[in-house]
Amino acid sequence: MAIRHRSVAVAIPAPRAAGRLSARTREALEGMGLLTPTVLILIGLVLYPFFYAIWLAFSDKAVGSPGQFVGTRNFEYVLGWPQFSAAIVNTAVFTVSAVALKFVLGMAVALVLNQRIRGRNFFRAFLLLPWVMPAFVVYLVWRWLYDPLSGLINYALMDLGLIASPIAFLSDRDTAMTSVIVAHAWRNFPFYAISFLAGMQTISQELYDSAQVDGASRVQQFRYITLPGLYHIIGVVLLLTTIQTANAFEPVYLLTGGGPSDATMVYTMLVYVMGMVNLRLGEAAAVSTLFLPLLVGLVLAVTMLLQRKARA
Amino acid sequence: MARPAPRCTRRDFLASASVVAGAALLSFPAPARAQRPKLVYWCYQFLKASDEARASFAQEWAKKNNVDLQMTMVPWKEFMPKITAAIEAKATPDIIESGGVELRARGQLLDVTDLYKKAEKTYGGWVGPSSKIMVEPDGRVHTLLYGLQGFMLIARDDLLAQAGLKPPPATWADLLVYAKKAQQLPRVFGLGQAISNQTDSQVWEDIMKSYGVRLADETGKRVILGDYKQQVWEFLDYFEAIWKASVLPPGVVTWDNTMNNSTYQAGKVVFVFNPVTISLWLEANNPELLAKTGHYIYPSGPKGRIQPLTYGSRSIMKYTKVPDVAKQFLWDSMEPGKMDREMTVAQWGPVLNAYLGFDVWKKKPFMKSLIDMSLRGEPQGYPDVFNDAWREQSTNCTASRMLQRLVVDNWSRDKAFAEMLDVMNKVYAKYV
Repeated sequence: MAIRHRSVAVAIPAPRAAGRLSARTREALEGMGLLTPTVLILIGLVLYPFFYAIWLAFSDKAVGSPGQFVGTRNFEYVLGWPQFSAAIVNTAVFTVSAVALKFVLGMAVALVLNQRIRGRNFFRAFLLLPWVMPAFVVYLVWRWLYDPLSGLINYALMDLGLIASPIAFLSDRDTAMTSVIVAHAWRNFPFYAISFLAGMQTISQELYDSAQVDGASRVQQFRYITLPGLYHIIGVVLLLTTIQTANAFEPVYLLTGGGPSDATMVYTMLVYVMGMVNLRLGEAAAVSTLFLPLLVGLVLAVTMLLQRKARA
Repeated sequence: MARPAPRCTRRDFLASASVVAGAALLSFPAPARAQRPKLVYWCYQFLKASDEARASFAQEWAKKNNVDLQMTMVPWKEFMPKITAAIEAKATPDIIESGGVELRARGQLLDVTDLYKKAEKTYGGWVGPSSKIMVEPDGRVHTLLYGLQGFMLIARDDLLAQAGLKPPPATWADLLVYAKKAQQLPRVFGLGQAISNQTDSQVWEDIMKSYGVRLADETGKRVILGDYKQQVWEFLDYFEAIWKASVLPPGVVTWDNTMNNSTYQAGKVVFVFNPVTISLWLEANNPELLAKTGHYIYPSGPKGRIQPLTYGSRSIMKYTKVPDVAKQFLWDSMEPGKMDREMTVAQWGPVLNAYLGFDVWKKKPFMKSLIDMSLRGEPQGYPDVFNDAWREQSTNCTASRMLQRLVVDNWSRDKAFAEMLDVMNKVYAKYV
């Protein structure tokens, strides 16, 4: 069969002139152009302050003075400062304990609010109350609750005959840190509860029904259905809140000021005292820089732990 | 048929907006703009009535002098962080009402020696030894005081009378005896004094110094605290006696700077150390308690009385673009008629001799004690030199931290003292 060739007019691109860009290059350049503002914002708001803070740590910068490079002098100074070692231990204790307490409280409340109970929507909204209240108000209320002379907790304990004399919760080395952790956990656990609750609602009811048919107990259902179903949410929540908790400042500042003695001196309080009270910005930056590996380590530990769990 | 509305492009809009804005700008009388200097004023915020009096004067002054005044009330506790940020951001105010001595040391203030001398000549001289804090070693002045204040011994005279005691206690040892006898446990404690990480705890440093202790030498550069171990031990004997006598309310080791006020105002202590702000509050809210309250200067220690004073000051930041206007404001702010009105509602003692005749000192008995305090009080830090090193150890509450080591951490005296000495040496070494 003879094949008839029909002539078709095809637009053939003219040979590329020297210096003209290919479509691919142009597209790449356009993409970079669109990304440039974001990159600039990141550099301006994240990278510049970050590296500036590190530079500060190597300078004798004080308020109103330009600051000269002093090598590792600030690091030697803060490492020899009496409250520094206390700040390391206290920050670790505060972070780990507070995160653990918030996790347990948040999970427990989420499990309750995931049940079909009367007034469930009301309680879900009510749950957010501590979290939306300004930290300043929350911690001043807790300060009053703990007060040994007029605080509600002492009043109640004495009225019930549980104690004979008031307890200075915030002023005793044995109870101060625990008291700060409890107040902080009370304010922040709703974030855990709401996040876990949201995660629980994505787990199919059929899984629970099947488990029930197989005779699984409530604990087993939690262990083998709920918890694995929440791993990703738990990961994100723990990651974010570990950083947030390690950097918490208001609870210590408003409840104890780092005292009694150095019993609640966390690193953020030490940075505040050195930078804002003593006006020694270089030393304050050195404390922050020294704590960076600890914070990164905490975050990495949480991430690795959860990844291992998720893989298992 | 309806006619389509004429289309206004973005370019048209921008063009017409520019024309309108330009026309508006040009129509504004240029000389008026040039004659209206802008003055940024950070007003010290602490006691409402006093703050309002100063703010009100500033507004009237700006109106009268055709100045565009931008005033911000800055709480005293936030002043240093805020001015720190402002200096770093190169966005400083023209006039500030806090931190004069601290910022002078950092070279941030305009020289106002001329105003200092003019005020000295016009208003009969400055009051008491504490006013000398304005004059630097080279004779220059960068900050002008407008009021003196200090901690005084505020006492429940009624409870002391009930216990058969006649105020005031003459010595620190007497104070302990008075506190023990007059307290009515568990409702009323003898002494409401913080031993915490807040600056009110610095009273302990003053008491320690009245036992003969000095922190640094005459130059304010070399720590000599180690030479005064015996005197420190005598002071610690006294402190431990106070601690064991149960005259301190529970919780003082974490008290903030407001707790002594609120505890006294609630009628729960016999003695506190505080400026008269407590009494100004009582005057408005609890006159019955004020009538039972006495105001006294500090008791003496074995080596004399240490009664340090703090101050309210006005300074001009060196970056100001309107130095003459700012200086005029400082000068007008010191006018006796204006200060008379202001001191009626303020916590300040007089700084200029022309202020000593104000009616307020006669009308309010509790304010009369401010004159005694202003005349006899010493500059902050005395007998040590007030400099950056002293200030840093003071804001660090070094003396109070030593005491907390004893009663909170159960350290030995030697260990607690060694730590204090180490901190002092570290701090002072930075400023040599």
